[in-house]
Amino acid sequence: MPIYLYSLKRILQAIPLLFIVSLISFFIIRLSPVDPLAELKLNPSISPQTLQAEKQRLGLDLPLWKQYLKWSVSFAKGDMGVSTTGEKVSDKLMERIPNTLLLTITTIIVTWIFGIPLGIYAALHWRKPIDRFLTMLTSAGMAIPSFFYALLLLIFAVKTGWFPVGGLTSIGFEGFSPLHKIFDITHHLFLPVLVLFTISIAGLQRQMRGNLLDVLETDYVKLARAKGLPENQVIYKHALRNAINPMVTLLGFEFASLLSGAALTEYVFQYPGLGRLILEAVIKSDINLVMASLMIGAIMLILGNLLADILLSLVDPRVTSVR
Amino acid sequence: MILVFLKACIRVDNPEKITTSKQNTAQTPECALPKAELFKNITIDGVDYRQSQTNVGKYGGEINTSSVGEGPKTFNPWNSKDATSSMFGDLLFDGLISTDAYTGKEVPLLAKSFEISPDGKVYTIHLRHGVKWSDGQPITADDVTYTWNTIIAKGYGNTSARDNVLIEGKMPEVTKVDDYTVKFILPKPFAPFLRQLSVSIAPKHIVKPITDKGTAAFASFWSSNTPPEQFVTSGKFRLKLYIPAQRVELVRNKNYYEIDQKGQKLPYLDKYVVYIVGDLNNEVLKFEAKEIDILSLQGNNIARMKELEKKSDFTLYNLGPDTGTTFVVFNMNNRKDKKGKYYVEPKKQKWFDDINFRSAVDYAIDRESLVYNILNGAGAPLFTAEALPSIYLNQKLKNGHNQDVKKAKEFLKKSGFYWDKKGQLHDKAGNLVEFTLLTNAGNTEREATGVMVKQDLEDLGMKVNFKPLEFNVLVGKVVDTLDWDMVLIGLTGSALEPHGGRNVWASNGGLHMFNQRKPDDSTHDIYPWEKQLDNLFEQGASVVGFDKRKAYYDKYQEIVYNEKPLIYLYSPLRVYAVRNKFENLCPTRLGGVTHNIEELYIKDAK
Repeated sequence: MPIYLYSLKRILQAIPLLFIVSLISFFIIRLSPVDPLAELKLNPSISPQTLQAEKQRLGLDLPLWKQYLKWSVSFAKGDMGVSTTGEKVSDKLMERIPNTLLLTITTIIVTWIFGIPLGIYAALHWRKPIDRFLTMLTSAGMAIPSFFYALLLLIFAVKTGWFPVGGLTSIGFEGFSPLHKIFDITHHLFLPVLVLFTISIAGLQRQMRGNLLDVLETDYVKLARAKGLPENQVIYKHALRNAINPMVTLLGFEFASLLSGAALTEYVFQYPGLGRLILEAVIKSDINLVMASLMIGAIMLILGNLLADILLSLVDPRVTSVR
Repeated sequence: MILVFLKACIRVDNPEKITTSKQNTAQTPECALPKAELFKNITIDGVDYRQSQTNVGKYGGEINTSSVGEGPKTFNPWNSKDATSSMFGDLLFDGLISTDAYTGKEVPLLAKSFEISPDGKVYTIHLRHGVKWSDGQPITADDVTYTWNTIIAKGYGNTSARDNVLIEGKMPEVTKVDDYTVKFILPKPFAPFLRQLSVSIAPKHIVKPITDKGTAAFASFWSSNTPPEQFVTSGKFRLKLYIPAQRVELVRNKNYYEIDQKGQKLPYLDKYVVYIVGDLNNEVLKFEAKEIDILSLQGNNIARMKELEKKSDFTLYNLGPDTGTTFVVFNMNNRKDKKGKYYVEPKKQKWFDDINFRSAVDYAIDRESLVYNILNGAGAPLFTAEALPSIYLNQKLKNGHNQDVKKAKEFLKKSGFYWDKKGQLHDKAGNLVEFTLLTNAGNTEREATGVMVKQDLEDLGMKVNFKPLEFNVLVGKVVDTLDWDMVLIGLTGSALEPHGGRNVWASNGGLHMFNQRKPDDSTHDIYPWEKQLDNLFEQGASVVGFDKRKAYYDKYQEIVYNEKPLIYLYSPLRVYAVRNKFENLCPTRLGGVTHNIEELYIKDAK
C-alpha cells in the first residue's frame, strides 16, 4: 500500500478515536464537582445578576449534552472557544506552544546527539569499565524524580547566582543584539534542558546499547566477521543500520510528547510553556482550555505513531511489505 | 492619633510573639512622616499639578515585584474580573479620587478637588487643568461623563462597578457643568458612593468608537495581547511590554501630573517590572536570588527571613493584620426547601439557633493557640466583623475575650445541655450533640485550624466530624444547597468601606450564609437582630461623614459580637521583605508597600 493511502487510512481511523477521547474527557471534567464560578460566588461584592450573566456567558446554564454538542461542533470547525476569562483559547495556546517546542526540541536534539553515540560506544565496550560507568550514570538518571531534580537545580541557581531562577528571557531582552539574545535564552534554557536531558538520555542510551548488542550477536554479523570484513564495516555498515530501527519508533513517541512531556519541569522552572497554562486551567476548571489541550495531546500521540510507522517503512522496506 | 497610626512602619521584632507590637517603634526605618498634607495642588503655567511633599529624589533605576498566578488577562480596568488584572488597570488609569495611605480618607487624584452637598446627594468634582492623556489629548469632563454614563451605566465589561453604585436600582445622574467640572446627583444619600469615584477614567476619544461597536468589542479591547503602543493612559506608569507567563514591564509616564518640591516630574523610577510567578515558593526563590525587590511573607517564612535579614540587604516590615478574616459559622436556617424537607435537621436547628450554644463555642475556642500554632505567631486573634485594620473597627470589641471553658460550660448548662458519664454532651431532649464541620480541602492552614477547633469543641463534649471538602463543593453547599451544619471559611474584607459586607449581613444578601434565604422557602421569619442589622446597613450608607457612619457600623459589630452568627477566629499579619535600596519608602497598614511608588527613588541610581 502506498504511503499516502496508508496515512489517509490511519487518519480516518483516528477520528472515532478522538471522538471517544473527547466524550470521556468532557464528561469526566464536567461531572467532577468543580464549579468555575465558585470563587465569584464567595465574593461579597458580586451581585446575583452578575453571576447569572457569567453563567450564561460560559454556557453553564445549558444541559450537559448540549454543552458537549456546542463544544464539539465548534471544535470540529476548528474553533476552540474562549477561556473562562474571555480570551481565545487558540491565542492562549499559540502564545505558549513555541516556548514549549523550543524546550522540548532542544532537549530531543541534545539527547539524541549524546545518547546514540554513547549507546554505541557502551555496546562496543561491553562489560568494560567505561560501559559499567555509563550504566551507573544512566541508572541514576532513570531513578531520580524529575520534580525533585529540578528543585535541586533551582536551589543551586539561587545559591550560586549562576543561572536565572526560571523564566525564558531577561529584562531588556527586546533591546539585546541577536547574539546576546541567543545567549540569554540559552542561559535560561540550560537548567530545564539539563533536567529533561538527564531523565531521557538514560532510556535512550540504554536502548541503543541493548539494540546494538542484540544485533552484534546475530548470525549475519558473525558471518560478516567470519568472512573477514573489517570490524568498522561490520559495525557501521551492517550492525548499526539494523540496530537503529527500533530507535525510529522511539523518535515517533518523542514527537507525541513534544507538547506535554515537559509539564512538570516547566512548572518547577516557571517556564512560560504549555504545562503551566494547562495546570492552571485544570485547577480553575477552564473547560475549553483543558479540552483543547487534551485533544491536542491525543492528536499528537496519533500523529507521532503514524510518523514513526512512516519513518520505519522508509528505513526498513520490510515493514510495509509485511503489512 | 494619626501619628500613632503611622507607626505602621514597625519592624518585626520577635515573630514568635508579634501581634501588633507597637513597642518597637524605635526601630522604625527612616520614614518621611507626612506633614499636614501629603500632597498639595500647585498651578504652574496653567497646569494643576499634584505636588509630593516628601524628600526630593533622583531619577533612574527600577523596581522589580511579582504577582503570583497567571498574570493579567486584560489591561482594560473596566472589564477586569480578577485581582491581578485590576491591579494593572488601576496602575495605568487614574481615578478621580484615591485613598490616603495613612488615614484612609478620600483624597483627590485626577480630580483637583471635590465637594459634597450637605444633604449628601450632590457630588461636585473639579478636574485639573492641563492634564493630558498619554497621546497628548486633554483630560476633561467629557471623559468623566463618558466613563460613568456609558461604560459603567450601560454595563460594559465588568458589571460589578455598576452593582456598587446602583442606589435602589438607579444610577447617579452624571452631568458636565463645564469642561473641568462634573456633577454627580444621587437619587438619595449614599455614603459608600464617594469611594466609587476611584474608578478609572477612560479616554473618550479612544474608547467611544469601541463601545459604539457593542459589549463584545469592548470585552476584547485592550486585552493582554494588545500592542503596548496602542494604550492611551493616564497613570504613573505606561505599559512597555507584556510577555505572558513571564513578566509585565512598565515605564515611567513622563507626562504624569505629579511633581516634587523642586518641580521635577514624578515618578522617579524608570521601570516597574512585575514578574508573573506560578507559586509562592518560586516567589521566595526569586527574592533570594535578588531578582525581585518586594516579597510578601507567609507565616513559616517570616522567622527564616528574619534570620536572613541580619546579613542581607532587605528589611522586614510588619503592616499589621490583614483584612482577610477566618471564622466558623453555624447554619441557623430553620426553613424547609421547596420539597418540604428541612435544610437542617430539626434537633440541630435548636442547638444552632440557641445563643447559649453559640456563645459556648465562642468561649471554647482558643484563638491565641490558633495564631501561635497555625500562623507561627504571625497573626492576631479576631473578634469583630470588621477586620482589624479597618478604619471602622469597633475599638471596644477588638480585644474580645479570653478562652474560658468554664464559662462555655455554664452557657451550655443554662440551656439544659448535660454531660453523660463518658463526658459526652446531650441536649435537653437527650440527643447526643454531634455535627459536621466542613472546610475547604487543600488549604493546609484551614485544615489545621479545623482540627484545632474540633479539639476545642470536643473538650466541651461535642462530637465534631471534621470533613475538608473540595472548595467548589463547599461553596455550593454554603450558597446553594444549604445542607451543612458548621463551616470554617474565610472572606476578604475592606479596610475602608464596611458597606461591602452588606451581602453577608443583610437578611436578603447573597452571602448571608448563617441564615441564607431562598426565593421559594417555606417561611420568611427573621430574627429581631437580623432586622436591626438590615436597618443599620441601610442607615450607615445613607449618612455622610465618617463619625456619623461609624456610629452605625460600631453598633452592627456589637450585634454580631453579641449574637455570634459568625464566630471570628484570626487574621494573619502582613509582613513584607523589601530591599533597602529604596528611599522615601514608607509602607503603611492601609496603603501597603508601594502606595507612593511615584515618590520612591534609588539613592545610587545610575
